[in-house]
Amino acid sequence: MKVLALIPAYNEAASLPRVVSELRERWPALPILVVDDASSDETPALLPGLGVRWLHLPVHLGLGGALRAGLRYARSLGVDLVVRVDGDGQHEAGEIERLLEPIRRGEADAVQGSRYLDADGHPEAGPRRSAQRALGTLMARVTGQPVTDPTSGSWALGPRAVRLLGEYHPTGYPEPELRLFLARNRLRVTEVAVRMRARLAGRSSLTAPRAGLALARVALALVVVPLRAAAEGSPRD
Amino acid sequence: MTDLVQIVAVTVSSLLLLVVLDLVRRRRLTEEYSFIWLVCAAALLGLSLWRESLHTVARWLDVHYPPAILLLVLVLFVFVASLHFSLVVSRQRQQIERLTEEVAILAARQREVSQAPEARSPSDPAPEPSRGPA
Repeated sequence: MKVLALIPAYNEAASLPRVVSELRERWPALPILVVDDASSDETPALLPGLGVRWLHLPVHLGLGGALRAGLRYARSLGVDLVVRVDGDGQHEAGEIERLLEPIRRGEADAVQGSRYLDADGHPEAGPRRSAQRALGTLMARVTGQPVTDPTSGSWALGPRAVRLLGEYHPTGYPEPELRLFLARNRLRVTEVAVRMRARLAGRSSLTAPRAGLALARVALALVVVPLRAAAEGSPRD
Repeated sequence: MTDLVQIVAVTVSSLLLLVVLDLVRRRRLTEEYSFIWLVCAAALLGLSLWRESLHTVARWLDVHYPPAILLLVLVLFVFVASLHFSLVVSRQRQQIERLTEEVAILAARQREVSQAPEARSPSDPAPEPSRGPA
C-alpha cells in the first residue's frame, strides 16, 4: 500500500524543519505532504527547501479544511494510507508503524493514537484532562466504541477513510467530530497507545475562547452527526 | 403572560430550534453559522418556559405586558444575527477576491510554463519562483 505522511501546518516555521528531518531520518522512503494553511510566518518560504510535496492554501481554512485538502490531493496521487503528523512536533515519528499496523492487518479503516492506553503516553493533567475524559465517556456512549483520547490528532487513515474524508472531513478543531463521523459511516476505528511530546516551538492556536467554541461545536455534533444520513461513498450494510 | 401566549411562544421557539438543528443535520446550514440561531431559539424557549424570568425582566424594564419582552429579545437577536452575517459576508468577500487573484496568477504561471522558451522575448523578466504545489 502507498503510504504518505500528511503534515498540516499553520505558522509552524520554528518546528516544521525538525519535524520533516525527524521523519526523514526514521522513514527515509516515506513521501511527505505539507499543507500550509495560509501561514503568515516564514512557513511558505521554507517549503521549497524541505524537499517535500506541499499545498499552499491561499485562504486560511483551519485544521479540518487543511486536512481535507491534503487528503483529497493524496487520493489523487493514488495514496492508500495516510498518517497525520502535526507540524508542531507533538507526534513522534517512531509511533507511525504502530498506527499503521491495524490497517495493514485489515482490522481497521482508521486508527487513532491514544495517550491514555499506556502509562507513559505523555498525558495531559488537570482541568484539560478531566474535560477530555468526560468527553471521551460521552462519545463512547454515543458511538458504542471505546474513546479514550477524543482530541488526539494522532491518526492513520486507510483507503476507505481517505476517500470519504477527502470530501467530508469535519472543519474547525475536528478530532471528536471525526470519531463521530467515522462511527456514523460505519468505518472501523481502533485505538492504539502512542507517546506524544509537548510542542517543539510556537504557540497553540487553541485559545480559551476558541476552546469554548470547539466544545460547543462538539456538543452540537453529538446531537447532529449520529442523525445524519450516511455520507456518499461510505460502506453500506 | 397568559397560558395561550405561553403555549404559542414555547411552540414557536421549539420549532425554530428543531428547524435549525435539522438544517445542520442535512448540511444545509454549517455548524459555525447555526450557533447564533441556536442561542436565540434557546433563549426564547427558556424565557417562554420559565414565566418568572419573563415577569422579572418585564418588571425591571417597567414593561407592563411581559410577552413584549419576548418580542424585544427576538428583534434584538435578529438585529445581532443580521450584523453578524454582514461580517461573515465581508470576510467571504475578501476570501473570494483573494482566490480570484490566485486563480489569475496560477493561470499566468501555467501559460509561462507551457510556453516554449524560444517564444519568450529576451526582454521578458524572469518569472518569480513558484510558491505553488510541487
